[in-house]
Amino acid sequence: MNDEMRASLDHCVKCTVCEAHCPVAAVTPLFPGPKYVGPQGERFRESGTSVDISLDYCSGCGICTHVCPQDVKIAEINAQARHEMKSRKGISVRDRLISRPMVTGRLSAPVAPIANAVLRNGLARRALSATLRIHRKAPLPASARMTLRRWLRGRTQAPAKRGTIVYFHGCAANFYEVETGRMTIEVLEHLGYRVLTPKQGCCGLPLQSNGLFDDARQHVHSLVSALDGAGHGLPIVASSTSCGLMLKREAHEILGMEDATLASVGARTFDICEFLLDLHDHGELPLDLAPIEMTIPYHAPCQLRGHGIGTPAVELMKLIPGVTVVESNAACCGVAGTYGLKREKYDIAMAVGAPLFNMVRDMHPPLAVCDSETCRWQIATATGVETVHPIALIHRAYGLS
Amino acid sequence: MKSLETDVIVIGGGATGSGVLRDAAMRGYRAILVERVDLGQGTTGRFHGLLHSGGRYVVTDPRSATECAQETAILSKIAADAVEQTGGLFVTTPADDPEYADKFAAACLATDVPVQEIAVAEALRREPRLNPKISRAFAVNDGSVDAWKLIWGNVHSAMEYGAQVLTYHWVTQVLRDGDRVCGVVCRDDVHGGEVRIDADFVINAGGVWAGQIADMAGCPDVQVVPGRGVMIAMNHRLVNTVVNRCDPPGDGDIIVPIHTVCVIGTTDTKVDSPDDLPIPRDEVQQMLDAGEVLVPGFRQSRALHAWAGARPLVKDTRVAADDTRHMSRGMAAFDHLERDGVRGFLTISGGKATTFRLMAQVVVDQMCEQRGDTRPCRTGDEVMPTAREGRNYTVGHRLADREGDRLDDPLICECELVTRSMIEEHLTETPTASFDDIRRQMRLGMGPCQGGFCSMRATGIGHEIGALDAARANDRLRLFLTNRWIGLHTILHGDQVHQTVLDKWIFDGTLDVEHLPQAQEAGQ
Amino acid sequence: MSDVVVVGAGLAGLTAAIRLARAGRAVTLLSAGVGGLQLSQGTVDLLGYTPDRVHHPLDAIDRTADADHAHPYHHLRADGVRHAVEWFAEVLGPGELVGSLQTNVHLPTAVGALRPTALMPPSMAAGDLRDGANVAIIGLRRLKDLYPDLIADNLSRTDLPSGGRVNARGVHVDFVVRDGESDSSGLVTARALDDSSTLLRFADAMARELTDDDHVVGVPAVLGLVDTQTVWSTLQTRLGRPVFEIPLPPPSVPGIRMNASLTAHAKAAGVRFVMGGRVVGATREGTRITGLQTDTAGRLRLTRSPWIVFAPGGFESGAIDVDSYGAIREPVFDLPLAHVPSDPVVSADYWADHPLFRTGVAVDHSMRPVDPTGAAVLDNLVVAGGLIAGATRWREKSGEGIAIATAVRAADTIIEDGS
Repeated sequence: MNDEMRASLDHCVKCTVCEAHCPVAAVTPLFPGPKYVGPQGERFRESGTSVDISLDYCSGCGICTHVCPQDVKIAEINAQARHEMKSRKGISVRDRLISRPMVTGRLSAPVAPIANAVLRNGLARRALSATLRIHRKAPLPASARMTLRRWLRGRTQAPAKRGTIVYFHGCAANFYEVETGRMTIEVLEHLGYRVLTPKQGCCGLPLQSNGLFDDARQHVHSLVSALDGAGHGLPIVASSTSCGLMLKREAHEILGMEDATLASVGARTFDICEFLLDLHDHGELPLDLAPIEMTIPYHAPCQLRGHGIGTPAVELMKLIPGVTVVESNAACCGVAGTYGLKREKYDIAMAVGAPLFNMVRDMHPPLAVCDSETCRWQIATATGVETVHPIALIHRAYGLS
Repeated sequence: MKSLETDVIVIGGGATGSGVLRDAAMRGYRAILVERVDLGQGTTGRFHGLLHSGGRYVVTDPRSATECAQETAILSKIAADAVEQTGGLFVTTPADDPEYADKFAAACLATDVPVQEIAVAEALRREPRLNPKISRAFAVNDGSVDAWKLIWGNVHSAMEYGAQVLTYHWVTQVLRDGDRVCGVVCRDDVHGGEVRIDADFVINAGGVWAGQIADMAGCPDVQVVPGRGVMIAMNHRLVNTVVNRCDPPGDGDIIVPIHTVCVIGTTDTKVDSPDDLPIPRDEVQQMLDAGEVLVPGFRQSRALHAWAGARPLVKDTRVAADDTRHMSRGMAAFDHLERDGVRGFLTISGGKATTFRLMAQVVVDQMCEQRGDTRPCRTGDEVMPTAREGRNYTVGHRLADREGDRLDDPLICECELVTRSMIEEHLTETPTASFDDIRRQMRLGMGPCQGGFCSMRATGIGHEIGALDAARANDRLRLFLTNRWIGLHTILHGDQVHQTVLDKWIFDGTLDVEHLPQAQEAGQ
Repeated sequence: MSDVVVVGAGLAGLTAAIRLARAGRAVTLLSAGVGGLQLSQGTVDLLGYTPDRVHHPLDAIDRTADADHAHPYHHLRADGVRHAVEWFAEVLGPGELVGSLQTNVHLPTAVGALRPTALMPPSMAAGDLRDGANVAIIGLRRLKDLYPDLIADNLSRTDLPSGGRVNARGVHVDFVVRDGESDSSGLVTARALDDSSTLLRFADAMARELTDDDHVVGVPAVLGLVDTQTVWSTLQTRLGRPVFEIPLPPPSVPGIRMNASLTAHAKAAGVRFVMGGRVVGATREGTRITGLQTDTAGRLRLTRSPWIVFAPGGFESGAIDVDSYGAIREPVFDLPLAHVPSDPVVSADYWADHPLFRTGVAVDHSMRPVDPTGAAVLDNLVVAGGLIAGATRWREKSGEGIAIATAVRAADTIIEDGS
């Protein structure tokens, strides 16, 4: 275990703030809560020994660490303990499969219409539920017919007026939500940047959250080499807030990686909204934004909060004339990456997300906005409301769509 | 005055006294143990919890080393539940004499103390927080032992053989009939009044107080000098193996992982009274520095609680130092018939927790000899009732237990995972128990928050089940807070300051415990 | 760029942020995590003991201000406190805060002591008991932080500050909050009671245990997390007599409510919240702080701002650090500390007034930190709340009064600066 994380348990004063904010403990007594399984339980664990199976009900959303006033790395302690428990108990085929969005993405992209039809087919979903214990109503993303990388192949870049940045698109923007990737690139180019998109793989986050640490480390290693190789010292912008967080923090704090390239890449990685708002704070963001008359529910995903940058999307969207942003103030949508896909966790995930879903439904909005892809799929599936990345509004306000 | 009658009275409820009680009871004697406060409240409950492999003594005290090695093997079986087989390491740090390591290895062989030199890399793999600059590492059979469990193991076993235990019975008189000791008078500090116990034999296992008791029996000049040792418990296990400096015995040369904490020990200062054991700040600093030598960053770790214990260092001016019949190294057995012409009275003191069983055997053998009985000792062969499951303690056991009952039994002390029914059962059985007594039984309030969240709950439960009226409940709460502070105020720094102030916000800010009605100044 | 950065999300930080944002300043609030307010009992204490029980807090504040020039109230006096707390009470409104600044009430605690305070949520007000009242204290079997018999016995043995005594009795109700759970925290219970059918079941379970002789009913402070007003008034109506909440140790529902309410007011006023990075250092030019460094994911972030309100809390949050050698310092700006005790820093007597806990940053009337000569050490930084030296807040029951009044004064320093 990353000793720095374990040692942080010393800061715990049992104040209950983490328990009070844990979205899972709020809806089920099956999870004893972040304090119990984290800094409290850890004192009872010899290295490599987890005896508390209830730890597995932690969704890994990270809210506990975020709210802790004493800097206890609660979620990180839990993730590492869960990993150790799973490495002794074994990891299911289901968890191995849903941990590999590149594999599933690559396999299904060429046959996207068929794959998507299968996902929409109730019978097929029941089969998935029976064989792999993936809940039949869980939000599985539809594959795009053309990946982002194929789209990139066919286009020429605008000349750079402002400098060069590296775009880390991640699996979601490549295989499932190509629009988000495309719009991120177009907005950055509109601002005058040359956008490099080196060939890149998965960040390993789903592997990590399913306890497959060794595989996750390999992915991080390849990814940071690719991003760093695109141009040493360049800023790196990510449109997937959770995958960006993996580079900034989690690979070091949860996977325990002490890698100089990783540290350098992490220090240069920006969430796209963070990047744009920093520009604005320095007076460098063009404000020729076309009005959009819209009241939009916005949900700040848990993984965004882990960045410790506030909610830059809210500030950005407020710059668009006509936009009224209504923050959900909800804890979590429930899905927490792959947690809500699992048959045995699905009901918990839906209960976690219920206040958010109700809020979104009650607004009858044309769109909902959220920075994280798995959360968007969860919100859209649960509410039927189209849910987009904040970049979609910026893109539109700049007249790019 | 209440009166009782028995074959043997044992004075002192530490490891030795409870061991003597068990030994005597198992040999068929009717026995009563009297203890002035709670069991294990003296020296036994105030050490670092090391079950010696013997390694510490191989060079300076080979006989003790061999005894320790033997006794550790026995206790791991007969008191399995109290013993965690952590294993131990002796490591040569840059601050240690590099020559000592070879002497140490040779002496282990000579004393039958099992040892194996391991590669430094292997030692660091086992204990990643160890000082990476160590140059040698030896694995030994050190363990850690819950001294309170050990005592209750003895006591439960003895009770199965018909023995009785009277806690909070303060011996005020040792009765004499001519040249024979024939009983004691005790003050009952819980129910009030006096109790007279007549007996054929009195065994003085008063530890650091043994001299005072011998005086009462008219056997003067048993000099027991209290050697104060300061120890500090750190918030979590920085090591999972006992880690010793491979150097001649010195201050702060060991870190013992025990339960959820690890303990750095210890200093050794002669003091005047075993009842007044301050925890000087310079000794606290000395321990923190010592911890830093073994585990770099030790000072940044959270110190939870400090305490001082008093080792009994026995001097007998009337017996020649080379008379080993009476003075087994490390332990002292006084035959007062031979020494003072007093029959029916023996004193056992000195020694260490690891060898308590052997000490008991020695003194009960002496009693048998004086009585003319031939009854062999069986304490090393029979497993204590508390250990019949045969499993050694593991630090994760409570977490595993709570995994089973978490939803059915409210968690009262969250740091140490103590449930409501554990407290209720104890208070129902022993309504007079103070919260410190409960603490010794089940570690209530011994975790990071030091009672901040659990002590109010324990107060409410004690009152709710009728064990305490409101006035006494308030006093128990206040006393518990007062007593926890003894071990907190001298080590208060870093994270523990945050905790202490949060606790203050709870007790003063939210509950206003200070202004509870008729609260009396606590102090016992 | 913001006009002001507020550091700290406790009562002082939130209060300053709201005050500044309402005055038109662009405010960013930085915090390491959730503030300490949610751990508090949800009342506004001005001054409760000096060390005798205080009945008229404003008078006592002026006496303290005169007698103890090192006390935070020395700079504020009753006028400053009244000005600030009246404004604060308006922010929350009478639906969330009632009481008088002139006269303390004495509310039963979760062990049955009578605790002086000035303002409280309406749901606690009936805890101001009168001579001869028959009080039923209700405990929930599955809630481990309130033992009704202990409270009742202690209350019955207490002389009321207003004179006389009450007759209190403990009542036990086994209310299942969630199936399969024997240990439901106050927070879990409060969340459940926001649901109206659960609330009616709760009210019925209580009504069954009460008799006509019970004049007033004390319940654990679990009456809803979101809509306490409805939960509390529904319960009073169903039980047909006054009901008061008794605050519990953390997780404290009244504290969580007040924290949520102030956070919502701050957001509505336009405060930008950035949580999850501890402020670890600053850049300066002479006696001006030019930027704050926060330890966020991946790197240190620099936040620039013309003004800073520094409200990081006190010893409980680590805003004042005591290291293993006993050295005491404020780690972010290394501000000069006042009341630094000589060794030993705390007394061996638990019940003593420990010198350490008065240590903090001394300020001038504008809330700028000062050195031992009384000279301000920074131009554009003001301090509020628990960091300020001179009071053992939990003992004298002055925490909220000091936090609110220093925060308002600090905010006003910036507002009056005008630049």
